[in-house]
Amino acid sequence: MRDHLWLFLATLGYLASAGWGLYALGSRRPLANSWTFLLILGAFLLHTAFLHERGEEIGHCPITNLFETLAFFSWSLVLTYLVVGPAYRMSILGAFTAPVVFLINFFALSTPVDVPNALPHLGWTLELHATLALLGFGVLGVAALASVAYLIQEHQLKRHVLGSWFYSLPNVGRLELVQQHVLVWGFAIFSGGAALGFFIPHRGPDDWVKIVWSGVVWALYAVLIVVLAAGRLSHKKTALLSVAGYVFILLTFWGINSLSEAHVFPHEG
Amino acid sequence: MISTLDQVICGGLTFEKTAVELREKVAFRASQLPAALVEMKRELGLHEAVLVSTCNRVEYFGATSGPTQAAEAWPAFLRRFHNIAEDFAAPSFQLRGEPCVEHLFSVASGLKSMVVGETEILGQLKDAYDIARSEGQTGKWLNRLFQSSFAAAKSVRSRTAITRGSVSVGSVAVELAEKIFGDLRGCRVMVIGAGETSERTARALLSHGLPSILVANRTHERAAALAQELGGTAVRWEDWEARAVEVDIMISSTSAPHYVLTAEKLEGLVRQRGRRPLFLIDLAVPRDFEPAINLLDDVYLYDIDDLQSIAQGHLRSRQTEIVRSVEILKPHVERYLHWASRQGEPGFANRMQA
Repeated sequence: MRDHLWLFLATLGYLASAGWGLYALGSRRPLANSWTFLLILGAFLLHTAFLHERGEEIGHCPITNLFETLAFFSWSLVLTYLVVGPAYRMSILGAFTAPVVFLINFFALSTPVDVPNALPHLGWTLELHATLALLGFGVLGVAALASVAYLIQEHQLKRHVLGSWFYSLPNVGRLELVQQHVLVWGFAIFSGGAALGFFIPHRGPDDWVKIVWSGVVWALYAVLIVVLAAGRLSHKKTALLSVAGYVFILLTFWGINSLSEAHVFPHEG
Repeated sequence: MISTLDQVICGGLTFEKTAVELREKVAFRASQLPAALVEMKRELGLHEAVLVSTCNRVEYFGATSGPTQAAEAWPAFLRRFHNIAEDFAAPSFQLRGEPCVEHLFSVASGLKSMVVGETEILGQLKDAYDIARSEGQTGKWLNRLFQSSFAAAKSVRSRTAITRGSVSVGSVAVELAEKIFGDLRGCRVMVIGAGETSERTARALLSHGLPSILVANRTHERAAALAQELGGTAVRWEDWEARAVEVDIMISSTSAPHYVLTAEKLEGLVRQRGRRPLFLIDLAVPRDFEPAINLLDDVYLYDIDDLQSIAQGHLRSRQTEIVRSVEILKPHVERYLHWASRQGEPGFANRMQA
């Protein structure tokens, strides 16, 4: 159970990052955001240690049960933040990422969902399919968090409320840009992962619960991307839909994973 | 016999006691400072001297064994140098020792500025000090004093919110525009109505790199005159709505008794503009832009009351930071006083030089 300890420590790190991130938002000290980034990076390393150890133990990418899937889901969210934060000079997004990651990990650690699921060797197609789908969710999560930051800043500008957060958050133009770029990347990665699903050999009935759910998520984001490209929606409505889409994923993800029939795969090798 | 520390003095005129009509008569241009320093040092009996001349203050800093002589000679020096008749003895002040140190540290930190927390004064002090030092008019007392004041000001600026938030309508408009668009260099602005406040606001925006400006006014000649002054293009009154599609920021200050732009009219304009945000600044009373405009997505509307209330809020925040700033300055003042008190000790000066 040493791997649980890694995840527990990582979760504590995310809690500390969330607290510090909120302080950084209020303090208006630019350096404070760098500390948020470093705290999250530290927690991410512990998180990675958990996934590595678990992967070694079970001989698969650690997404064989809901506990591991949630941990991988939150890990991909942090990984995206660690890429997007420095690339767009958006360390401030850590203040929004850390609380969400903490809550996902807390849920995973505090519910009895770590049930061993002895699976045969699954093959690279299936592992890549699942990994890309979860990474896509992580990227879409950061797009949603950038949208939350945009909506807060937009609200402050509209209501003429110029508090500490107004000065700490980036300008709405940059938040729009990040939100849109990350949204497109997230959709592309998720689509790639979903498309790989068609090439996976399996026996028994199709897992329609998961297929329909994935189709709904894919269609929701596809419509959002199309109207975004067509310039039909205001920035505010785009941001609201991005947040709504991700809330839908968060609220249904665990349920779908619990309800869906376990994939039955042929033995390989 | 005066104490070691009381050798450090300062004095002069500030906006608090001297009206601008008088201050402008005794202001020193940068080119006059080298000659003025030499004469002031001689006439006031100073061993070291720095002369600070800004729009809000004309002050001397010095090291001397005769502070009373300096106080008495200062008004005469101003009269003689500027060849004027006014007597500046009454509004002039002089501080010696610790109050002088506290004064300079407070001035450098912007605590004694007309607009509390403004940062321009620090640059002006640095310039004045650099001129005096390069002219060989400073020594150990003033070198240490000014360098300590710069460090103290930096500490106040980084540890308090004294410099934060814009405190004029123009700078608030710039701050808001930067929070909407980020870099303003790609934004275009239109001024509707050639009023004085809109001109000042447009100038503030232009100073942040906006590439072009359109000016529309009922009297086209006034629009043309203002456009020329701002380096922009005049637009005929009947064309401004069509040209508004091109711009990102609109500043309005017409004297129209009704709304110049309604939400209904703007909705069509917003559709033509695509998803680009629009920042509307309404400086007119009665207002030119219908308030319901602010309900439209991607449109940000601010009227004169909004901008003034933001500026006043910032000013109030700055004033609440004064007490904290004074606390931050205390150890800096004490360090200087401690150093100054040791100047009389036998062998200390040699150890400092070693």
